Amino acid sequence: MKSSRTLGLVMIAPAAVMIILFFLMPVVLTAVFSMTNMTTATGISGGVYQIAPNSLIALKSAMPEIAAEMAEPRYTIDEAGLTAVEGLGMAPGIVAELRAKHTGEVFPARRDVERMIKDLADRPSTREVKQISEQFNRSVLNTRFDSREQLFSALDSLGFKLTPEQQEIVAKTTYTGWTWTTENFSRMASSPDMARVLFNTVLYVALVLTLFNVGYALLLAIWTHYMPPMPASIFRGIWLLPRITPVVIYVLLWKWLAWDSGFISILMGKFGYLPKNYLLDTAYNAWFFVVLINGFIGASMGMLVFSSAMKAIPKSQFYASEVDGASRWQQIRYIILPQMRWPILFVTCYQTLSLLASFNEILLATNGGPGNATEVWALAAYHTALRNYAGNLEYGLGAAMALVLVVIGVTLSLLYLRVFNYGTLVAKPLIED
Amino acid sequence: MAERSQPSANYRSWPVITALTIVSLPLLLMYVYLFLDTVTVKQADALLPSGLTLNHWRFLWQTTAGKANIWQVTLNTLLFSACTTSLVLIVSSMAGYVLSRLNVPARGFFLAGVMVLHAFPSVTLIIAIFIVLQMVGLYNSLIGVILVKAAIDLPLGIWLMKGFYDTVPWEIEMAGVVDGASRFRVWRSLVLPQVKPGIMALGLFSFLAGWGEFILPQVLAPGNQVQVLSVYLAGFLADDNNYDFNMFKAVGLFYLIPVLIAYALFNKYLMNIYGGGSKG
Repeated sequence: MKSSRTLGLVMIAPAAVMIILFFLMPVVLTAVFSMTNMTTATGISGGVYQIAPNSLIALKSAMPEIAAEMAEPRYTIDEAGLTAVEGLGMAPGIVAELRAKHTGEVFPARRDVERMIKDLADRPSTREVKQISEQFNRSVLNTRFDSREQLFSALDSLGFKLTPEQQEIVAKTTYTGWTWTTENFSRMASSPDMARVLFNTVLYVALVLTLFNVGYALLLAIWTHYMPPMPASIFRGIWLLPRITPVVIYVLLWKWLAWDSGFISILMGKFGYLPKNYLLDTAYNAWFFVVLINGFIGASMGMLVFSSAMKAIPKSQFYASEVDGASRWQQIRYIILPQMRWPILFVTCYQTLSLLASFNEILLATNGGPGNATEVWALAAYHTALRNYAGNLEYGLGAAMALVLVVIGVTLSLLYLRVFNYGTLVAKPLIED
Repeated sequence: MAERSQPSANYRSWPVITALTIVSLPLLLMYVYLFLDTVTVKQADALLPSGLTLNHWRFLWQTTAGKANIWQVTLNTLLFSACTTSLVLIVSSMAGYVLSRLNVPARGFFLAGVMVLHAFPSVTLIIAIFIVLQMVGLYNSLIGVILVKAAIDLPLGIWLMKGFYDTVPWEIEMAGVVDGASRFRVWRSLVLPQVKPGIMALGLFSFLAGWGEFILPQVLAPGNQVQVLSVYLAGFLADDNNYDFNMFKAVGLFYLIPVLIAYALFNKYLMNIYGGGSKG
């Protein structure tokens, strides 16, 4: 390794590969998927052609007669059917006559084919006529065709003569795979549900950010700043617990507190109130708990950042102010807060992004309920794409929703890089060969 | 937090301590009862326990029907966090050094990229990766989740390691280079030992992050064979038929103990990172 440049490239390669493969590529793919109408129903690999009942409904508006005909079974006297009839063990003359006189004929309805069979020389009984006709039933309904050619050769052999324009329409309505579309974005822009989710998200971020991540964190930092070291570190330790606790346990604890068999219910029961699920009974309660649950986690980061910033304030400023007779409130107002401007800005910026992206706690606590009251954008994207009640997962729409978050996140973080003077972060390396 | 003298001795601190105790009460209550409820019996409407029992810990020796075995799940969790941690440590200690000391093309771009990547919502990654894993048939395997989780932790890891390398005096490297060692050798034998606290901090952080991770395994590897503790516990929570808070709490405490031990032993390392901020 002669030059540091080669070594640098080699040493950074694993990080670059991992980030490109598992970070950038998914983001790019999200953009790609957001331009499709991919769902569980369309599958994620290529689709097949299938004349299903719902595609016939779609077809009816464009070509009513053809759609009606496709819905009915057709009867074709072909070799496969003849062989099957032979297997039924009837008089051999029946098959011979069918093969000789009727091979290749197509009957549009059961009535027609059965009249023809009845008129055969051997005169099959009514029961036999039904058995025989069933062997020639060649309905296109619900059969799968792997390609367009197969679909049209099947239709052709059943006597559907279609013009190229008609073929185009049939192919389009019967294709079950996903196609490219921009519909996801127009759906997002016009749906009232999305507006509601957007409102929830703004409310959620604003409430948690101001009340806890900044407000309460600042309060905690100031309180512990003025405390003897022992209780201060105890309280800091307590408020760090939510952050180190795995999210599933943390939410379990809140459920224990708020559920109908939980702590609050039992406590209120002592005063004669009926037990109820405080977490989910009204939208206001749900919001109250969602903000608390996320706020208690978020408060710790602000607390640590603010505490260390306060520790950096020279002690002499406090002593000097005390000599001048400043009250504690004046110390906070004129010494601490002015010097907290940058930490506060940093925490605000950083936590906005974190809150926009986080949805684990809400998913586990309320799952967006009651109704859709606490559904925020990230959770809605998760629900749309990966777990919804209808069972048809809309990958395309979910990806489009996720993409909105990516765009917001990147825009905001570029803005923040500007604010925090990115140039100083990438100062020149120390040694050059 | 190391020694900190009071900025002012003229004020009484008990009113503040009382206020802080009151607002901390929900947390205290939750964590105290988390422990208490796992070893005691309590009447349905009582607030205080009436006797001791180990019955809530029965999941340790008997497997609930339809659920995975707890030891298998614990092993999976351990494997998952250990692999994620090693991957993050190795990759980011190399990349951090490059970004701190070596001049590579697009260095500034890479650094900015790391900052921006950190802001990416994980829901994006989950949806796309879910679809891709389904396409290639790697769904429900631990390897996929490990790689994804490591990639998510990487930006923070690289940024952090870069910060630690920046504090190493360059005379150390200069001495090595003058003595004729290659830059790689200098990094491995001289610089790496200097950033041990950073490696320690990042390793712990990454291990705890992997240990607590829920949404990635839930979506990408929910099967019983590859289940991790968070998914296992969430499965209990979602099961409305036999709701047993005390047993859930026992599972929860079982899951939390390693975290608490790590936190108690190494919290001064961890502060560095939680201050710089993981998501949430």
